Amino acid sequence: MTRVLGWLAALGLLAGVAAGFGYAPREAIQGNVQRIMYLHVPSVLTAYLAFGLVLLGSIAYLATRRPGWDRLAASAAEIGVLFTAITIVSGSIWGKPTWGTWWTWDARLTSTAILLLVYVGYLMLRGLVDDAEARGRYAAVVGILGAVNIPIVHFSVKWWRALHQPSTILGPGPSPIDPAIGLALLVNWIAFTLLFAYFLARRIEIARLEET
Amino acid sequence: MPANWSYVLAAYGLAAVALFGYWRHLARRARALSARRGAPVSYRTPHRTPS
Repeated sequence: MTRVLGWLAALGLLAGVAAGFGYAPREAIQGNVQRIMYLHVPSVLTAYLAFGLVLLGSIAYLATRRPGWDRLAASAAEIGVLFTAITIVSGSIWGKPTWGTWWTWDARLTSTAILLLVYVGYLMLRGLVDDAEARGRYAAVVGILGAVNIPIVHFSVKWWRALHQPSTILGPGPSPIDPAIGLALLVNWIAFTLLFAYFLARRIEIARLEET
Repeated sequence: MPANWSYVLAAYGLAAVALFGYWRHLARRARALSARRGAPVSYRTPHRTPS
C-alpha cells in the first residue's frame, strides 16, 4: 500500500510539474515567477494538514494514552516542519522579484515563521524527554497549543494590513483565479497531499519499529 | 516583468533537494531498523570471548 502511495505521489508530482510549467499560462503581470505558486501554496496547505493531524493525534493521545496517536502526531509534525520550511523558502524566493525583498516582518510571514519555530520546538521537546509516556503527554500539550497558530497564519492577511496577498482559494466567495491556473494548482495540491500521505505512512512505520 | 527563471529554478530546485533528502533519510532509517530486527542473533548480542 505504501509503495503504491509512493508511485502515485511520484506520478502526481510529474503531472504537477507538467501542469505548472506546460499547461498553465504565463501570468500577465508577474510573468514566469508566478509559477512558484504551484510549489508555495500546496506546501502551506500540506503543512496545515500535517499540523491538523498533530492536533488530532495529540487530543486522541491525551484521551486514550494509546501510543499510535502519539506516533501519528510526532510523524505529522516532522513532515509539517519540512513543508513549512519549503513554504517559507519558496515564498522568500518569490518575494525578491515581486516585492523587492527576501523577507519582511509582514503578519503572514511572521506568523508562518512562528508556526515553524513552534513545531521545531515540539520536535526538540520530544528529543529531550526519555520516558515515552511523559514525552507523549508533554508533546501533546504543545501539539494542541501550537495548533492555535494555524488559523492565525491563515487569517493574518485579513486581520492585519499585510504585504502578502489575501487568500485566493480558501477565501470567502468564489475564487478570482484563472481556470487554467486553478487547475494546475489543484493538480499540485493533490500531488503534495499524496506525497504527504506517503511520507506519513513511512514515518509512522519507522516510529513503530523504533519502539519495538 | 523579466522572465525571472532563475528564481523559479531556485525555488523548485531547493524544494526538490529537501523532499528528495527527506525521502532518502526515511529510506535509510527504515533499512537500518529492518536490518537490526532481521539480523542474526549473533549480530545483536555482545561478543563473548570463549572461556
